[in-house]
Amino acid sequence: MGQVSTDDLLAWVRAFARLVAEHRDALTELDAAIGDADHGANMHRGTTAALAAVDGAVPASPGALAKKVGTTLVSTVGGASGPLYGTFFLRLGTALGDAATAAPADVAAALRAGVEGVVTRGRAEAGDKTMVDALAPAVAACEEALAAGRTWEEALAAAADAAAAGRDATTPLVARKGRASYLGERSAGHQDPGATSAALLLAAAAETLGGRGAGAPDSR
Amino acid sequence: MSAPGGPGGSRVGIVVVSHSRALAEAAVGLAAEMLSGQAVRIAVAAGLDETTFGTDAVRIAAAVEEVDDGDGVVVLMDLGSALLSAEMALEMLADDVRERVVLSPAPLVEGLLVASVVAAGGADRAEVAAEARAALLAKDTHLDEAPVPEPGPAAGGHLTGTFVVANRHGLHARPAARLVGEVRRLDADVTVRNLTTGAGPVPAGSLSRVATLGALHGHEVEVAAVGREAREAVDRVLALAARSFDEAPDPAEEPAGTAPSAGPVAASPGIAIGPAAHLRAASVPVDERPAGPPEQEQRRLADALAAVRQDVARARDRTGPAQAGVFEAHLLLLDDDELTGAARAGIDAGTSAPGAWARAVAALESQWAALPDPYLRARAADVRAVGDQVLRALAGEAPDRGVDVDGVLVADDLTPVRAGALDPRRVLGVALAGGSPTSHAAILVRSLGIPAVVAAGSGLLDVPDGTPLVVDGTAGRLLVDPPAAVVEEYQARRRELAGEHARDAAEAPRDAVTRDGRRVEVGANVGSVADARAAAAAGADGVGLLRTEVLFLDRDRPPTAEEQEQEYRAVLDALAGRPVTIRTLDVGGDKPLRYWPQAAEANPFLGVRGVRLSLTRPDLLATQLAAVCRAARHGPVRLMFPMVTVVEEVLAVRRLLAEAAAPGPVPDGLRVGVMVEVPAVALNVEAFLPHVDFLSIGTNDLTQYTLAAERGHPALAALADPLDPAVLRLVAETASRAAGRASVSVCGEVAADPAALPVLVGLGVRELSVAPSAVAGVKAAVRRLDSGACAGLARRCLAAAGAAEVRALVRTASPDGP
Repeated sequence: MGQVSTDDLLAWVRAFARLVAEHRDALTELDAAIGDADHGANMHRGTTAALAAVDGAVPASPGALAKKVGTTLVSTVGGASGPLYGTFFLRLGTALGDAATAAPADVAAALRAGVEGVVTRGRAEAGDKTMVDALAPAVAACEEALAAGRTWEEALAAAADAAAAGRDATTPLVARKGRASYLGERSAGHQDPGATSAALLLAAAAETLGGRGAGAPDSR
Repeated sequence: MSAPGGPGGSRVGIVVVSHSRALAEAAVGLAAEMLSGQAVRIAVAAGLDETTFGTDAVRIAAAVEEVDDGDGVVVLMDLGSALLSAEMALEMLADDVRERVVLSPAPLVEGLLVASVVAAGGADRAEVAAEARAALLAKDTHLDEAPVPEPGPAAGGHLTGTFVVANRHGLHARPAARLVGEVRRLDADVTVRNLTTGAGPVPAGSLSRVATLGALHGHEVEVAAVGREAREAVDRVLALAARSFDEAPDPAEEPAGTAPSAGPVAASPGIAIGPAAHLRAASVPVDERPAGPPEQEQRRLADALAAVRQDVARARDRTGPAQAGVFEAHLLLLDDDELTGAARAGIDAGTSAPGAWARAVAALESQWAALPDPYLRARAADVRAVGDQVLRALAGEAPDRGVDVDGVLVADDLTPVRAGALDPRRVLGVALAGGSPTSHAAILVRSLGIPAVVAAGSGLLDVPDGTPLVVDGTAGRLLVDPPAAVVEEYQARRRELAGEHARDAAEAPRDAVTRDGRRVEVGANVGSVADARAAAAAGADGVGLLRTEVLFLDRDRPPTAEEQEQEYRAVLDALAGRPVTIRTLDVGGDKPLRYWPQAAEANPFLGVRGVRLSLTRPDLLATQLAAVCRAARHGPVRLMFPMVTVVEEVLAVRRLLAEAAAPGPVPDGLRVGVMVEVPAVALNVEAFLPHVDFLSIGTNDLTQYTLAAERGHPALAALADPLDPAVLRLVAETASRAAGRASVSVCGEVAADPAALPVLVGLGVRELSVAPSAVAGVKAAVRRLDSGACAGLARRCLAAAGAAEVRALVRTASPDGP
């Protein structure tokens, strides 16, 4: 089980930006149904800026890279996803510290810290129809897989699958946080855009941090 | 300049956070107009650039640092990510800076204007934040909305004070006229609000509006004033109130005063206008005849008991099964060995039948009355009621119907027998000093369609016979001797209501669909085939609750499966294809069955009842389930279990159901659900969802268990309000968790409460079940709703501090509300 390097994290951010670009219109469509139709554009702007910020001058450590991504997202996304994804990467970076590489268990713990940051920032709980519904099961699946002695690659794949399942499970829920909550019951029947982009984040992680190879799971 | 942070010398900065830079800059421009050149440090952190909407925590943090001069910063935000970004910005700031930043929940434009002006005046950051937060008050007052719930007393130049109405008959015409006269002379906008009932605020300068507050003796009233002479206005009103509005003191006034009432509380919708007519407790005849031979006296007693037994049974049959329990209790007393045995022993010892009976009743009554348990103590009233009926029969008098009045019936409380015997042609309305809207008496009055208010306070009992009264049983108002103009208003409203009723009834058979196209099923609560026919005729979409108790009560052995099947099929036939929800036997220690003796319980409502009791006799439950399975082969049946608390109970009844269906399988169309009456079920609803097809929220019991307030308890009428946010949150939790997985209905009294309907629909409830007489009105009300607006209202209600605030929110929100 190899170490995760700064380059791995850069590849993650690059893959995330690519997936967001590919799904930009789909994310916007989902958000149009229950929000303000800007999630695709906001995330595209933010991830493009974040990649640009770390691609030219690669920071010294995985932690520093994550922090740079976080601050860039905070300033460039615009919507609530800015502080939420920003918090995720900032907490992730803080947890990773200054080490030049990180062990899989440390990355899993850092992912947990990132998700906890998102929960604190948005005050959302599981079942509120938010990105937490994809992120929380993903982190849990990753930790469980590692605890069961499975490989880092398998743990990341489990995380990506759990995120996709969590994303799918948001469809019948009634939103209780964010702009969609203004719709009340009418938000039921629509997949949550935040959970959808969060599933892309985990798909990108499985593709790059664990060497799962190309291809993201179907985002529908 | 005085020291930083000192009074009047602060330099508080302001940061404006918005998604839109143009919006933020325009708001700052508006604020600048108010400042006429005074310097305030204001920074904008809005938009990602000139035209891109968005918020940025880094920019917000920088803006705070820019305007912070050591005295702190107040941050005003628009919505959504603005809050998250501002909170994130706080984390980015140095500790000492962060400590002096206040994130203000004030509305952006109003808050910024007020905050700028106050900051320019040198106020410290806490004052600036408080003023900003109260910035909506002026607008609220202007639009006559309920004020924001937490305005500090010194907020926004808006002064308030409260007083308790000391006048024996409340703020009736004369004291109200004094109030109006006092405030009209002052340069201030003054409003008054009844804090006890949540009515208002209304302008204190309008006599007719003040009358609508229904401020009775003991009610707490808030006076609020803005304007040049606001302080003087509040002071004068409080002084006037302290002088009882210059009303001559009533010589009969009790020195200690009566306990403040929490009412009046709406108990039966509609408007009644008429003279007060007191219900005097009929005096019990004194039978002076000497005792005859013991055998003759024994026969007199036996005859009287038989006559009263018949009378009570008739009352029970007339009022329907929902209230049967009360009459069953009276019947049991008539057969109670302790009571009748003591009376017979007295007769044998040479006392007359009335004398012996009266002594036996008094002895039993005092035993009950001495019990430490208040629930049991209250049963002493039953003993007295039954005892008096027998004494009347012994004296050869007609059984006490007790109600021989025309006009608006005024009483302390009503027994179910009396309530059930009211004649709607003579009793126009009912006003009770005590009682509760969920008491049996209130339910009976509602079923008769007589407008009623309860818990109006003991002051009501002093209103002289013939005093003009207006009972608004929809809004929960009682007006004593209102001005002619007010009476005319209510008369017009009553005529409108009569027209509405006729239209609603004609429309009732159609589906009830909200304006935005959401269908709400409106079923009926029934207890017999006759009820079911009435429900079908009233346009019900089905039976949401078939109470099966009537089949089981008042007999020596339980009904057979065949008998039950026949009854259930007859109900199905009456509904002609519309679904019928059958609730399994729901009895407890308060409604004991002859063939199923149960240990007396100190508190039957927390005892072995509903499914708990059924599971102690699986044979009886199995018989009922077999009957339900057979009936389900003939029409759409839903099977529902009452008083469920834990999942194990559902699993147990599911097993019994599978066995009862044998030799066949459980019929395909039979849907199985549980009642949500115990808060534990609502809180743990996820655990139940895999095992049920539907959930039916029984709000009467859910309210009683959530608020720990016995239904029908006269002192707790206002407490046991199903619109308490705590109850609403349980409904919300149930509805949202179940959405898409199990249907959710509401079958309590609250489903027919006009104030509750938009909230329930807003919480996602799409099935209601109400008394057959309420079906048409509820369907009409559904058609006036917009489910989106309801959802917004429901969300505000969930955040309300209490039931009164919820009712105020509903009143404010409903376009056709009172």
